[in-house]
Amino acid sequence: MNVVVLYLLLVKATLTSFSGLASLPMVRNDFVLHRHVLTDRQLNTAVAAGRIGPGPLGIYVVSLGYLVDGVPGAFAGWLAMITPAFLIIPMLRFLGARAEHRRARAVARAVLFAGAGLMISAAIPLARDAITNPLSLGIFACSFLLIASARVDSLWVMLGAALVGVIAFQF
Amino acid sequence: MARPQLTDVTRLFFRVGVTVFGGGDPTIAILQREFYRRNWLSPEKFAIAFGLARLTPGTNVLAFCAAAGWYLLGFGGALAVVLAITIPASVLVVWLTSAYDLTAHYRLAQSIANALLAAAVGTMIGAALLLVRTQCKTGRWLKPLAISLGAFLLAIIANLTPLQVIGVAAIVGFFWPES
Repeated sequence: MNVVVLYLLLVKATLTSFSGLASLPMVRNDFVLHRHVLTDRQLNTAVAAGRIGPGPLGIYVVSLGYLVDGVPGAFAGWLAMITPAFLIIPMLRFLGARAEHRRARAVARAVLFAGAGLMISAAIPLARDAITNPLSLGIFACSFLLIASARVDSLWVMLGAALVGVIAFQF
Repeated sequence: MARPQLTDVTRLFFRVGVTVFGGGDPTIAILQREFYRRNWLSPEKFAIAFGLARLTPGTNVLAFCAAAGWYLLGFGGALAVVLAITIPASVLVVWLTSAYDLTAHYRLAQSIANALLAAAVGTMIGAALLLVRTQCKTGRWLKPLAISLGAFLLAIIANLTPLQVIGVAAIVGFFWPES
């Protein structure tokens, strides 16, 4: 598949979705059902590879691009993933001039507080997957306390968790 | 607010890009906490970036990063942070794709990934509480608590999408102005 067409198909999918994996139905329709350049198994591999590694869930489009056309395809997937992000800048420029208004500040703060509630609600399904034994419960509790205390750099929390994962594997 | 150097901002996003597992929400939680620690982004600007990122097509967390980078250092900052947070993770995901059958059976990698995911969940909840707690310091705790709890309940019990919850919060904020 031509790499430009690949980019255009992927950017169409990312531009018409509002979260990482929401583009999946359109991607499946274009690549699996309509053009037959991928199988469902390959699509699953792309999603799984995206979930195993760090980064946003939407990164699966990079994996998908790689499966379709190797490294140039991965580049097209990466470009399609980041392109919509820059649409936020004109929105910020428009809003920036109005951000100091009393009601605009109140709306912004309300959105911020809602964000905290949404973060906790999003953590629940993740917690069901992640906290499966006393060790993972311990890692969860320590990470929570260290981050909530705001005294420890998050890098050390993540590196510490990775180290515990290595030690746990040894036993 | 402190104006950071491009290298410091890029380094932070690069680091978060390679160490935070679990998707966009843990990433935003970590970034919120790091901005707070460094005094880089005011809660108001964070809120605008967070809210608009939900309205931007594509991967929300990348729109959030572009907004944060733009606030910190203009368009160059937005471009630098989006590249810094996506390139290393993309290289890793390509490697994982090519080695998927191997890694699926590689128990050490699974053990590390499981530990990182548990830490990401703890980080998300810790950062969310930190976010509300910092806003309650002034003694005005009712509004932060009520809206956070309301958003949580709307998402969990009423099954509203994040976009709908943000919309409800914006309406509440509009009719519940700052004192």
